Formats: sequence, structure tokens, C-alpha cells
Amino acid sequence: MNQEYRVEDKVMAKHHPELDILTEHAAGSLSLAQTACVAAHLNYCHCCSQTVSRLQAVGAAMFESLDPEPVGDALLDRVLARLDEEAPLSYQPARRSGQDATPALLSRLMAGDFSDLVWKKVTDALRITPIRTGDPQFEFSLLHIKAGGEIPPHDHRGSEMTLVLQGGFSDDRGSYHPGDFIYRSANDVHAPRAFADEDCLCLAVIDAPLRFTGWKYRWMNPFLRLQAG
Amino acid sequence: MDEKTGTSRDQGDVAKTIPTGRRTDEWSECLVLIANKQDRAAYTRLFRHFAPLIKAFALSGSALSATHADELVQEVMLKIWQKAGGFNPEKAAASTWVYTIARNCRTDMFRRLNKFDTPLAAEDFSPDQEHEEPFMQLQSRRSADRIREMMKNLPADQTQIIAKVYMEGKSHAEAASELDLPLGTVKSRVRLAVQKMQAQFEVSQESR
Ligand SMILES: [Zn+2]
Repeated sequence: MNQEYRVEDKVMAKHHPELDILTEHAAGSLSLAQTACVAAHLNYCHCCSQTVSRLQAVGAAMFESLDPEPVGDALLDRVLARLDEEAPLSYQPARRSGQDATPALLSRLMAGDFSDLVWKKVTDALRITPIRTGDPQFEFSLLHIKAGGEIPPHDHRGSEMTLVLQGGFSDDRGSYHPGDFIYRSANDVHAPRAFADEDCLCLAVIDAPLRFTGWKYRWMNPFLRLQAG
Repeated sequence: MDEKTGTSRDQGDVAKTIPTGRRTDEWSECLVLIANKQDRAAYTRLFRHFAPLIKAFALSGSALSATHADELVQEVMLKIWQKAGGFNPEKAAASTWVYTIARNCRTDMFRRLNKFDTPLAAEDFSPDQEHEEPFMQLQSRRSADRIREMMKNLPADQTQIIAKVYMEGKSHAEAASELDLPLGTVKSRVRLAVQKMQAQFEVSQESR
């Protein structure tokens, strides 16, 4: 899915989640860490947001065609009795600051700024900080790659989702800028290199520890066995 | 409470034309009445229509027990009462708005029951409606009807899988292992079904 969508004042992401990932997101069937990563992409991408809205409308149509299950009046009465204590909220949605600001969801997870996080140094160029989401299976972390720095070639036993937040990087398949979403399936080896002129910050969600494939880097694998959750 | 008390029926026949010439639906009107007037008669009508659907959704794939299903119905219906002020009929169809709340509450209930310890609620992942463009035409009653119509005509293998994904909240991988199918097959069936249904929106957009 390499479409470009130009909307005024919006970052134009060029790399998007595939339709099946967006469908799982819209249906609420993605894992917590993965759905957080997709939601962060939607923050940058008008095109995928619209697709997700349509996919939710598809869900709503299915919802409306379900065979209704009878609900007794007792339940209605119980709910009506609680309406007074549950007064409607006067609704004032939080304003989102500019498109390239940190996605709100991410700010909540970090409970602070990028600099407040504890970064583990993996190589001279690469630092990682795991972020707790409560997802028991998928690790959600931030990666910081120094300008021009390379992440050693690695593969993964599971999938890897990446979202560029600042700067950017390239690998053998393309180059990626803020808002771009990259999905790699298991056993896909790649060696991303950050752009020469700017440090790169990205969000990564993996469902199994990364394994570095070069012998030089074998020793560092234990550092990457981050804690899911 | 009698559903004919309070707001009278005849109102439903007038307020259906909005400036763009498109008809809104009864459920959007109910939500607006709840938001503006805390109208309990409108709320009761909405309850009688949606509560049985929410319960069916809760029980899809025996995901939840009957007790939890009733609990979910209450939770969703109370959320609707509280959040009606955030509903914007120009940006979403009422059914989509209700479905999204039901989906989020069910996800949160699953996580609670499975003792997930997370700082996030499912609704944190939905972009705020306020920031969305109006695309009423995409979600008009007509496209919803057309989608429902078209779902009846989908091949059974596609219906079965999208029901698993949407109504039972299963991932593609879970659906694949339950149905004993290769993941690739599941993905392509979902894609085919979803593309066909999405196409209904494109059509209604062009026929504006
Ligand atoms: Zn996108």
C-alpha cells in the first residue's frame, strides 16, 4: 500500500498498514500494543483514518444485522434508575496539537517526555526504551538511532511493526519518514540505517525478541529481551 | 416507562431532512434529544432497539457469559447516556457510534476478566470524532442498508470469517486456527469481503 494522500497541514505518510491490519484495528481484534501503534499512525494519516471509519461502518452494519437477544424490562429499569447518578458529561474533547506533535496516546503511555525515559544502550548508535502497555504478548518500545547510525541486521520470530516519529531511516526496501508505518513479518531480515542528518526516533512493536543475525552482535541479544507488558 | 410517553412519534416524521437534503435516522435524533434534553423517552426507544443487539454482540462466539453480557449492556447503555453530547450526527451514523462504544466496552471487559493491567482503555485508541471530517455521505442510512443487503449475498465462507473478526473480536490468526485454515486464506477472504463492502461507500459518495 504505497499511496500518497495530500491533505493540508498534514504529514503525508507514504507507507501504510495493509487493509487486513486496518480491519483488525477497526474490529478491535488487534492486540493492545499493536493497536496502539496503528492508532499512532492514524494520527498522521488522513487516508487510513478514513479507511478505518469505513471499516467501522462495516462493523456497525454487521452489528445491526445480528439476531437480537431478548433483554428484559428489569434491565431497562435498572439502567433507568442509574441515569441520575450518571449525569451526561458536558463534552469538551481535548484539542490535539499539530500533526507532528507526539501522538496523544503515546504521551499518555510515556507519562513524560522522551528525555525522561530510561534508555538502554544497545550499540553506539542504538538506544531502546521499553514502554509498559499491559500487553502480555507484544513488546512496545521506542528506538532511538543516531543520525547515520545503523541497526545491526536482525530478524524476528514474530512480526515487527514500526512507526517513524522523528527523523527517518531507510533499508533495502525504501526510506521512511515521520508517520510512515512499516510491517515486517517473521524471518524478514533487514538492517535499517538512520538518515545522515537527523537522529531517528521510532516506535516498534514486536511479538518476540529481536535476534541479531551477524556473529558480532550475538552477544547483545540478551539486551533486547525486553519485558512485554 | 412507556416508549410513547414524552416525545411523540410525529416528531420522527418531520425532523428527517437536514440542510444537505439527506435524511437522518431515528437513532441520531434520539441521541441528539438525549444530549440536549436528557430525554428519557428517547433514551428508552434507543435502549429497546440497541440493548438486544449489544447483548447479541456480547454473546457472539460465546465470548461472554450471560451475566457478563447483561453487565455489558448496562455499561454500554450508561456510556451512551453520558457521552451523547459527544455524538455529532454530521460525522457518524448513530449505529456506528453505538457499535464503537460497544466494541470498546467489550474489549475493556475482556481485558478486565483476563486481569490485564493496562493504563489504557479501548476508547483511547479511537480518534476523537471532533477531528474527523464530516463524511455523512459515507455513513448514510442508505450505505448502511446497502451493506447489510450485500452481506446477505456474500459467499458463506467470507461471511463466516468476517463475523469472527468483527463480531467475535478474533484476530485473523485466531480465526485461522479455529477454522483450521491457512492464515493467508483467512486474510484474503476478509480482504475480499471488506473490499466489496467498502465499495458500497465509494458508490454512495459518487452518487451524491
Ligand atoms: Zn496511512
